[in-house]
Amino acid sequence: MIQPQTHLNVADNSGARELMCIRIIGASNRRYAHIGDVIVAVIKEAVPNTPLERSEVIRAVIVRTCKELKRDNGMIIRYDDNAAVVIDQEGNPKGTRIFGAIARELRQLNFTKIVSLAPEVL
Amino acid sequence: MSAALRSRSLSLYSLPSSSIFQQWKLGFPALERAFSSSANRGLLDLQEVEKVLSDVKADDVKVIPANDLCEWADFMVLATGKSAWHVKNIAQALIYKSKQKQKGAQRLVLPSVEGQEGGKWIVIDSGKVIVHALDEKARAYYNLEDLWSKKKPEEDTIQDLEKAFVKIRPKNNSKRKPKPALKRA
Repeated sequence: MIQPQTHLNVADNSGARELMCIRIIGASNRRYAHIGDVIVAVIKEAVPNTPLERSEVIRAVIVRTCKELKRDNGMIIRYDDNAAVVIDQEGNPKGTRIFGAIARELRQLNFTKIVSLAPEVL
Repeated sequence: MSAALRSRSLSLYSLPSSSIFQQWKLGFPALERAFSSSANRGLLDLQEVEKVLSDVKADDVKVIPANDLCEWADFMVLATGKSAWHVKNIAQALIYKSKQKQKGAQRLVLPSVEGQEGGKWIVIDSGKVIVHALDEKARAYYNLEDLWSKKKPEEDTIQDLEKAFVKIRPKNNSKRKPKPALKRA
Protein backbone atom coordinates (compact mmCIF):
# COMPACT_ATOMS: atom_id res chain seq x y z
CA MET A 1 0.00 0.00 0.00
CA ILE A 2 2.10 2.84 -1.30
CA GLN A 3 0.50 6.26 -1.41
CA PRO A 4 1.85 9.76 -1.96
CA GLN A 5 4.32 10.73 0.78
CA THR A 6 5.40 7.11 1.34
CA HIS A 7 9.16 6.72 1.55
CA LEU A 8 10.65 3.75 -0.29
CA ASN A 9 14.07 2.15 -0.47
CA VAL A 10 15.74 1.72 -3.83
CA ALA A 11 16.46 -1.87 -4.85
CA ASP A 12 18.97 -1.18 -7.63
CA ASN A 13 22.35 0.43 -8.25
CA SER A 14 20.97 3.49 -10.04
CA GLY A 15 22.42 5.81 -7.41
CA ALA A 16 19.27 6.82 -5.59
CA ARG A 17 18.91 5.65 -2.03
CA GLU A 18 15.53 6.76 -0.90
CA LEU A 19 12.42 7.81 -2.81
CA MET A 20 9.20 9.48 -1.85
CA CYS A 21 6.10 8.61 -3.81
CA ILE A 22 4.28 11.66 -5.14
CA ARG A 23 1.84 10.12 -7.62
CA ILE A 24 0.55 6.73 -8.69
CA ILE A 25 0.27 6.15 -12.42
CA GLY A 26 -3.02 4.60 -13.47
CA ALA A 27 -6.46 5.88 -12.76
CA SER A 28 -7.05 9.56 -11.98
CA ASN A 29 -7.72 9.23 -8.30
CA ARG A 30 -5.94 6.08 -7.33
CA ARG A 31 -5.21 5.68 -3.65
CA TYR A 32 -2.72 2.89 -3.23
CA ALA A 33 -0.03 1.25 -5.31
CA HIS A 34 1.03 -2.37 -4.91
CA ILE A 35 3.76 -4.58 -6.31
CA GLY A 36 4.19 -4.00 -10.03
CA ASP A 37 2.66 -0.53 -10.13
CA VAL A 38 4.48 2.45 -11.57
CA ILE A 39 4.76 5.53 -9.39
CA VAL A 40 6.20 8.99 -9.81
CA ALA A 41 8.68 9.68 -7.05
CA VAL A 42 11.16 12.24 -5.81
CA ILE A 43 14.68 11.23 -4.87
CA LYS A 44 15.08 12.10 -1.22
CA GLU A 45 18.57 10.77 -0.80
CA ALA A 46 21.17 9.87 -3.40
CA VAL A 47 24.65 8.39 -3.50
CA PRO A 48 27.19 11.16 -4.22
CA ASN A 49 28.71 11.42 -7.72
CA THR A 50 26.01 9.46 -9.51
CA PRO A 51 23.83 10.60 -12.43
CA LEU A 52 20.74 10.78 -10.22
CA GLU A 53 20.52 13.66 -7.77
CA ARG A 54 18.46 14.62 -4.77
CA SER A 55 15.05 16.19 -5.51
CA GLU A 56 14.94 14.78 -9.02
CA VAL A 57 11.55 13.50 -10.19
CA ILE A 58 11.67 9.98 -11.62
CA ARG A 59 9.47 6.98 -12.31
CA ALA A 60 9.81 3.77 -10.37
CA VAL A 61 8.26 0.29 -10.25
CA ILE A 62 7.36 -1.07 -6.84
CA VAL A 63 9.03 -4.44 -6.27
CA ARG A 64 8.56 -5.07 -2.55
CA THR A 65 5.87 -3.98 -0.12
CA CYS A 66 5.28 -4.50 3.55
CA LYS A 67 1.63 -5.01 2.72
CA GLU A 68 1.17 -8.67 1.94
CA LEU A 69 0.68 -9.94 -1.58
CA LYS A 70 -1.77 -12.81 -1.90
CA ARG A 71 -1.55 -15.50 -4.52
CA ASP A 72 -4.40 -17.69 -5.70
CA ASN A 73 -2.90 -20.75 -4.03
CA GLY A 74 -3.05 -19.10 -0.62
CA MET A 75 0.59 -18.14 -0.49
CA ILE A 76 1.19 -14.76 1.10
CA ILE A 77 4.34 -12.77 0.41
CA ARG A 78 5.32 -9.92 2.67
CA TYR A 79 8.64 -8.11 2.78
CA ASP A 80 10.31 -6.12 5.50
CA ASP A 81 10.59 -2.96 3.44
CA ASN A 82 8.94 -0.99 0.70
CA ALA A 83 11.29 -0.93 -2.26
CA ALA A 84 11.19 0.29 -5.86
CA VAL A 85 13.34 0.14 -8.97
CA VAL A 86 14.03 3.37 -10.88
CA ILE A 87 12.98 3.25 -14.54
CA ASP A 88 12.99 5.77 -17.36
CA GLN A 89 10.05 6.80 -19.53
CA GLU A 90 10.57 3.83 -21.86
CA GLY A 91 10.54 1.34 -18.99
CA ASN A 92 14.24 0.50 -19.04
CA PRO A 93 15.75 0.27 -15.56
CA LYS A 94 18.24 3.04 -14.76
CA GLY A 95 20.46 0.75 -12.76
CA THR A 96 22.14 -2.36 -14.10
CA ARG A 97 21.69 -4.67 -11.12
CA ILE A 98 18.82 -5.28 -8.75
CA PHE A 99 19.16 -6.29 -5.12
CA GLY A 100 16.99 -8.54 -3.05
CA ALA A 101 14.18 -10.92 -3.81
CA ILE A 102 11.46 -10.04 -6.28
CA ALA A 103 7.97 -11.46 -6.73
CA ARG A 104 7.11 -13.49 -9.79
CA GLU A 105 4.05 -11.33 -10.44
CA LEU A 106 6.30 -8.72 -12.03
CA ARG A 107 6.77 -10.99 -15.02
CA GLN A 108 3.02 -11.23 -15.55
CA LEU A 109 2.83 -7.46 -15.35
CA ASN A 110 5.37 -7.27 -18.17
CA PHE A 111 8.43 -6.16 -16.24
CA THR A 112 10.55 -9.01 -17.59
CA LYS A 113 13.60 -6.75 -17.73
CA ILE A 114 13.51 -6.21 -13.99
CA VAL A 115 12.91 -9.91 -13.38
CA SER A 116 15.84 -10.90 -15.57
CA LEU A 117 18.17 -8.57 -13.66
CA ALA A 118 17.03 -9.77 -10.25
CA PRO A 119 19.15 -12.19 -8.23
CA GLU A 120 16.19 -14.12 -6.87
CA VAL A 121 12.61 -14.54 -7.97
CA LEU A 122 10.04 -15.66 -5.42
CA MET B 1 5.10 -18.66 -18.79
CA SER B 2 3.05 -21.65 -17.86
CA ALA B 3 4.97 -23.80 -20.29
CA ALA B 4 8.14 -22.76 -18.58
CA LEU B 5 6.73 -23.59 -15.21
CA ARG B 6 5.40 -26.90 -16.39
CA SER B 7 8.64 -28.01 -17.97
CA ARG B 8 10.52 -26.87 -14.93
CA SER B 9 8.33 -28.77 -12.57
CA LEU B 10 8.64 -31.88 -14.74
CA SER B 11 12.39 -31.67 -14.65
CA LEU B 12 12.24 -31.23 -10.93
CA TYR B 13 10.39 -34.43 -10.25
CA SER B 14 13.68 -36.11 -9.53
CA LEU B 15 14.68 -33.47 -7.03
CA PRO B 16 13.44 -33.44 -3.45
CA SER B 17 12.33 -29.82 -3.66
CA SER B 18 9.68 -30.51 -6.27
CA SER B 19 6.86 -30.31 -3.80
CA ILE B 20 7.42 -26.62 -3.23
CA PHE B 21 7.48 -25.95 -6.92
CA GLN B 22 4.27 -27.85 -7.32
CA GLN B 23 2.73 -25.43 -4.89
CA TRP B 24 4.19 -22.47 -6.66
CA LYS B 25 2.98 -23.73 -9.96
CA LEU B 26 -0.55 -23.58 -8.68
CA GLY B 27 -0.17 -19.86 -8.24
CA PHE B 28 -1.57 -19.00 -11.64
CA PRO B 29 -4.29 -21.52 -12.40
CA ALA B 30 -6.06 -19.21 -14.82
CA LEU B 31 -2.96 -18.81 -16.93
CA GLU B 32 -2.33 -22.51 -16.77
CA ARG B 33 -5.75 -23.21 -18.18
CA ALA B 34 -5.48 -20.53 -20.85
CA PHE B 35 -2.26 -21.94 -22.19
CA SER B 36 -2.85 -25.64 -21.81
CA SER B 37 -4.92 -25.98 -24.96
CA SER B 38 -2.31 -24.44 -27.22
CA ALA B 39 0.63 -25.36 -25.08
CA ASN B 40 3.59 -25.57 -27.40
CA ARG B 41 2.10 -24.38 -30.64
CA GLY B 42 2.29 -20.69 -29.97
CA LEU B 43 5.44 -20.36 -28.01
CA LEU B 44 8.70 -20.43 -29.89
CA ASP B 45 11.35 -22.96 -29.02
CA LEU B 46 15.07 -22.48 -29.10
CA GLN B 47 15.77 -23.72 -32.62
CA GLU B 48 13.14 -21.43 -34.10
CA VAL B 49 14.41 -18.46 -32.18
CA GLU B 50 17.95 -19.13 -33.35
CA LYS B 51 16.82 -19.48 -36.94
CA VAL B 52 14.88 -16.20 -36.85
CA LEU B 53 17.82 -14.42 -35.26
CA SER B 54 20.19 -15.65 -37.95
CA ASP B 55 17.65 -14.66 -40.65
CA VAL B 56 17.44 -11.08 -39.42
CA LYS B 57 21.23 -10.99 -39.04
CA ALA B 58 21.35 -10.26 -35.35
CA ASP B 59 24.95 -9.89 -34.18
CA ASP B 60 26.62 -11.80 -31.42
CA VAL B 61 23.83 -14.21 -30.56
CA LYS B 62 24.48 -15.91 -27.27
CA VAL B 63 22.40 -18.66 -25.71
CA ILE B 64 22.70 -19.14 -21.97
CA PRO B 65 21.04 -22.22 -20.51
CA ALA B 66 19.34 -20.81 -17.43
CA ASN B 67 17.72 -24.01 -16.35
CA ASP B 68 19.72 -24.47 -13.18
CA LEU B 69 20.19 -20.74 -12.57
CA CYS B 70 16.57 -19.84 -12.10
CA GLU B 71 13.29 -21.64 -12.28
CA TRP B 72 11.28 -19.24 -14.38
CA ALA B 73 13.14 -19.70 -17.67
CA ASP B 74 15.13 -22.37 -19.48
CA PHE B 75 17.14 -20.33 -21.95
CA MET B 76 18.28 -16.76 -22.12
CA VAL B 77 19.07 -15.65 -25.65
CA LEU B 78 21.00 -12.42 -26.09
CA ALA B 79 21.21 -10.70 -29.45
CA THR B 80 22.64 -7.37 -30.55
CA GLY B 81 21.07 -5.10 -33.14
CA LYS B 82 22.95 -2.47 -35.08
CA SER B 83 20.40 0.28 -34.51
CA ALA B 84 17.08 0.93 -32.84
CA TRP B 85 15.33 -0.08 -36.06
CA HIS B 86 17.27 -3.29 -36.24
CA VAL B 87 16.43 -4.15 -32.64
CA LYS B 88 12.75 -3.48 -33.31
CA ASN B 89 12.93 -5.62 -36.43
CA ILE B 90 14.35 -8.52 -34.44
CA ALA B 91 11.36 -8.31 -32.11
CA GLN B 92 8.93 -8.00 -35.00
CA ALA B 93 10.45 -11.01 -36.76
CA LEU B 94 10.03 -13.15 -33.65
CA ILE B 95 6.40 -12.10 -33.25
CA TYR B 96 5.79 -12.74 -36.95
CA LYS B 97 7.32 -16.18 -36.66
CA SER B 98 5.07 -16.95 -33.71
CA LYS B 99 2.02 -15.82 -35.71
CA GLN B 100 3.08 -17.91 -38.71
CA LYS B 101 3.50 -20.92 -36.51
CA GLN B 102 -0.09 -20.87 -35.32
CA LYS B 103 -1.76 -19.84 -38.55
CA GLY B 104 -5.38 -20.91 -38.68
CA ALA B 105 -5.60 -21.45 -34.95
CA GLN B 106 -8.70 -20.14 -33.24
CA ARG B 107 -6.84 -18.25 -30.62
CA LEU B 108 -3.39 -16.76 -31.01
CA VAL B 109 -0.94 -17.00 -28.15
CA LEU B 110 1.67 -14.34 -28.68
CA PRO B 111 4.86 -13.88 -26.70
CA SER B 112 4.80 -10.88 -24.41
CA VAL B 113 7.07 -8.08 -25.54
CA GLU B 114 8.52 -5.36 -23.37
CA GLY B 115 10.20 -2.19 -24.56
CA GLN B 116 8.84 -2.29 -28.09
CA GLU B 117 8.67 1.48 -28.56
CA GLY B 118 12.14 2.28 -27.27
CA GLY B 119 14.40 0.12 -29.37
CA LYS B 120 17.23 -0.01 -26.85
CA TRP B 121 16.34 -3.19 -25.07
CA ILE B 122 13.42 -5.37 -26.13
CA VAL B 123 12.57 -8.52 -24.22
CA ILE B 124 10.49 -11.17 -25.98
CA ASP B 125 9.19 -13.56 -23.37
CA SER B 126 7.96 -16.69 -25.12
CA GLY B 127 7.57 -18.95 -22.13
CA LYS B 128 10.71 -20.89 -21.46
CA VAL B 129 12.88 -18.99 -23.92
CA ILE B 130 13.54 -15.35 -23.10
CA VAL B 131 15.04 -13.34 -25.94
CA HIS B 132 16.81 -10.09 -25.17
CA ALA B 133 17.40 -7.88 -28.18
CA LEU B 134 19.67 -4.99 -27.24
CA ASP B 135 21.61 -2.31 -29.07
CA GLU B 136 25.36 -2.29 -28.56
CA LYS B 137 25.38 0.41 -25.89
CA ALA B 138 22.66 -1.22 -23.83
CA ARG B 139 24.36 -4.59 -24.08
CA ALA B 140 27.58 -3.17 -22.72
CA TYR B 141 25.70 -1.20 -20.06
CA TYR B 142 23.57 -3.97 -18.63
CA ASN B 143 26.16 -6.72 -19.19
CA LEU B 144 23.61 -9.48 -19.01
CA GLU B 145 25.91 -12.34 -19.97
CA ASP B 146 28.13 -11.55 -17.02
CA LEU B 147 25.15 -11.55 -14.69
CA TRP B 148 23.72 -14.78 -16.03
CA SER B 149 26.94 -16.73 -16.22
CA LYS B 150 27.98 -15.74 -12.71
CA LYS B 151 24.61 -16.18 -11.09
CA LYS B 152 24.73 -19.08 -8.70
CA PRO B 153 21.86 -21.52 -8.37
CA GLU B 154 19.16 -20.83 -5.84
CA GLU B 155 19.34 -24.30 -4.35
CA ASP B 156 20.42 -23.24 -0.87
CA THR B 157 17.59 -20.77 -0.46
CA ILE B 158 15.13 -23.37 -1.67
CA GLN B 159 16.37 -25.82 0.90
CA ASP B 160 15.97 -23.19 3.59
CA LEU B 161 12.43 -22.58 2.44
CA GLU B 162 11.73 -26.28 2.50
CA LYS B 163 12.93 -26.45 6.07
CA ALA B 164 10.70 -23.55 6.96
CA PHE B 165 7.66 -25.27 5.53
CA VAL B 166 8.19 -28.54 7.39
CA LYS B 167 5.94 -28.85 10.38
CA ILE B 168 7.81 -29.96 13.48
CA ARG B 169 5.87 -32.03 15.96
CA PRO B 170 6.10 -30.55 19.46
CA LYS B 171 8.16 -32.50 21.94
CA ASN B 172 6.23 -34.69 24.33
CA ASN B 173 6.92 -33.22 27.75
CA SER B 174 4.23 -35.00 29.68
CA LYS B 175 5.27 -36.87 32.80
CA ARG B 176 3.01 -39.80 32.15
CA LYS B 177 4.80 -43.02 31.24
CA PRO B 178 4.17 -43.80 27.60
CA LYS B 179 3.80 -47.58 27.84
CA PRO B 180 2.91 -49.26 31.12
CA ALA B 181 3.27 -52.66 29.43
CA LEU B 182 7.00 -52.09 29.04
CA LYS B 183 7.42 -51.33 32.74
CA ARG B 184 6.02 -54.69 33.74
CA ALA B 185 8.34 -56.61 31.45
